[in-house]
Amino acid sequence: MKVIEINELHKIYNESEVKVHAVNGITLDFDEGEFAAIVGPSGSGKTTLLNMIGGLDSPTSGNVIVAGSEMSALRGSELTDFRLHNIGFVFQAYNLIPVLTARENTEFVMRLQNKPAKECKSRAEEMLNAVGLGNRMESRPSKMSGGQQQRVAVARALASKPQFVLADEPTANLDSKSTETLLEIMEKLNREENITFIFSTHDARVVKKARRVITIEDGKVVSDERK
Amino acid sequence: MIIPISWKNIWRNKQRSMVVIVAITLGTVAGVFVAGLMNGWMNQRIRDVIYMETGHIKIQNPDYLVNEEILYSIKEYDNIQTYLDTMPGIKHWSARSKVMAMASTAYGSTGITLKGIDIEKEKEVSGLYKMLISGTYFENDSRMPQVLISRKTADNLKIRNYKITETVLDSLIALDIPNETITKLNTLQNERYITRKKFEKAISGVWSVSEIKKYAPTLINTASYIHPGSKITFSFTKANGEIGYQSYRVCGVFKTSNSAFDQMSAFVNHSELVAGTGISNHSFHEISIILNNKDSIDDICNSLNTIYPGSTAMTWKKLQPDVGMMADFMGVYYYIIMGIIFLALAFGIINTMLMSILERVKELGMLMAIGMKKIKVFIMIMLETIFLTLTGSVIGMILGAAIIKITGKRGINFSGVEEGFESFGWSARVYPNIEIYFFFGIIVMVIIISILSAIIPAQKALKLKPIEALRIE
Repeated sequence: MKVIEINELHKIYNESEVKVHAVNGITLDFDEGEFAAIVGPSGSGKTTLLNMIGGLDSPTSGNVIVAGSEMSALRGSELTDFRLHNIGFVFQAYNLIPVLTARENTEFVMRLQNKPAKECKSRAEEMLNAVGLGNRMESRPSKMSGGQQQRVAVARALASKPQFVLADEPTANLDSKSTETLLEIMEKLNREENITFIFSTHDARVVKKARRVITIEDGKVVSDERK
Repeated sequence: MIIPISWKNIWRNKQRSMVVIVAITLGTVAGVFVAGLMNGWMNQRIRDVIYMETGHIKIQNPDYLVNEEILYSIKEYDNIQTYLDTMPGIKHWSARSKVMAMASTAYGSTGITLKGIDIEKEKEVSGLYKMLISGTYFENDSRMPQVLISRKTADNLKIRNYKITETVLDSLIALDIPNETITKLNTLQNERYITRKKFEKAISGVWSVSEIKKYAPTLINTASYIHPGSKITFSFTKANGEIGYQSYRVCGVFKTSNSAFDQMSAFVNHSELVAGTGISNHSFHEISIILNNKDSIDDICNSLNTIYPGSTAMTWKKLQPDVGMMADFMGVYYYIIMGIIFLALAFGIINTMLMSILERVKELGMLMAIGMKKIKVFIMIMLETIFLTLTGSVIGMILGAAIIKITGKRGINFSGVEEGFESFGWSARVYPNIEIYFFFGIIVMVIIISILSAIIPAQKALKLKPIEALRIE
């Protein structure tokens, strides 16, 4: 089943002056349960593509259809709501809320969805156990390593059972051991929860683990390999 | 979820939040204390007006209001008297007759209003008997008519006496006057001097010129007292239009916080005034009424005016419009003081909140990216501001209330400017106090000010675009 359809997507920056074609006519599909990496050199347009899939940026032309609804048709708070209920985000810089504990951070998205507190708590504990942080539930981000923080971020992204998870260079700030642990966890969750994962990365270790590798250069897909 | 996050957020930068909280606390303490001080003053003034001057309601002959003639007494006194005794809501009442007189002694004279009172009933409506600084509140076995005068009147009539007693010497020692200078006064000890002149002459016999120059004013002030028993002769127009005289013996001296009232009032037994002036036993110029419940003041006043159209009943607010107006305005005035303080603090709050938002632009971007609606971000910032301000103001209110409680028990003495205060009828010793509803008003005000201060920072946060905010390193 198709989770995401991308049709002739263009993104042009600086339209009035020197035009920069960050995404230049990309057409792609993602199926449920995929574990896909978008790779390419810096400035190739992978983050821009990811932002448009995530509804954080709007395309100049073309469209992104997630679970049957076209994202460019959504405005303001509808789009925020759409992101809340359909997409999980993992950022390069972890971006946890520093004043909340690991458990509270994991619960956060579910709480925004107005799910009952009890349900949020048990799901957050389940997810933190799944990412191997069952013993750090009440720790604040400042007391955790980068790898542990990123695992909390993954737990947060998955806790609300989104349609898919977008991870923008999730391993960029991690050492090799933490990268390996994180990838194993993400792969395990991808299998167990059947959630689609899409990464942007230029980390060879991530590329190795991915079951589909999409290479982008100058805003265009140059290869799309499935392993 | 947003409430605990907002609360935790204000403690991210403890030092910065504490600076604002301390500023708000100090501002609130200052505002609450000033309001307490003003309120204490106001309450004292109102109490003085009611329990010394007017009562809650005063009944007079309407003609007397225009022209204070001895003949314009209350027409329906007997009926009113019966009515007041039976009417529910009336706690106490007392009638007085008033005669304009000239008081004279061998040394001075002054214009005064002689007030003929029922000495027992007067105690129920007026605190006069508690205001004595020397002598007694009328004696039973006096052969001569007695009068209560104020210290101010005693000064005007120059009936202050001077005596160097053991206590006077002790207080001079306490004032660091050299022992040998004090020893020289031993020969004058316990000698009574009836005029200042005589006392000064006696001092000049024992002290050197330099000692007189240096210490005489202090000594005269400390040794002066009003001798009960001094005689005063009052002259007035009698009921029949003739000039009458009557001598009274001073039985006591009072002092209230209103020097104008003090200067104009001397109290005598009504029956003695009747005898001297030739007015009738049932002739009174005013009835002072104290009510059980001050809320019924207008109703009772209106019904008195309806039932007895020949007399005029007026509330204390009408009789003392300046005090009445201030009493009505004070409630607003306290809030104006607090408003100005909070307005000044608002700029500090805005600054702190702006800094706090600029510091976490990336985090706010992330919150919006993962699905936190702008309205929730707005509420979060609003709550942070409210918590910050409320914390400071609640601490401030507790401290302010504690200071008012302590000073309210002991009172604060502005003795240095006593004369100035008292010439306006204000007491120089003030007992700050504040009503509980004032604090509810502050809380409402704090919340309004917080919301207003949060608008600019919150708007700043709302303008953020998640994608741009996330890019910030």
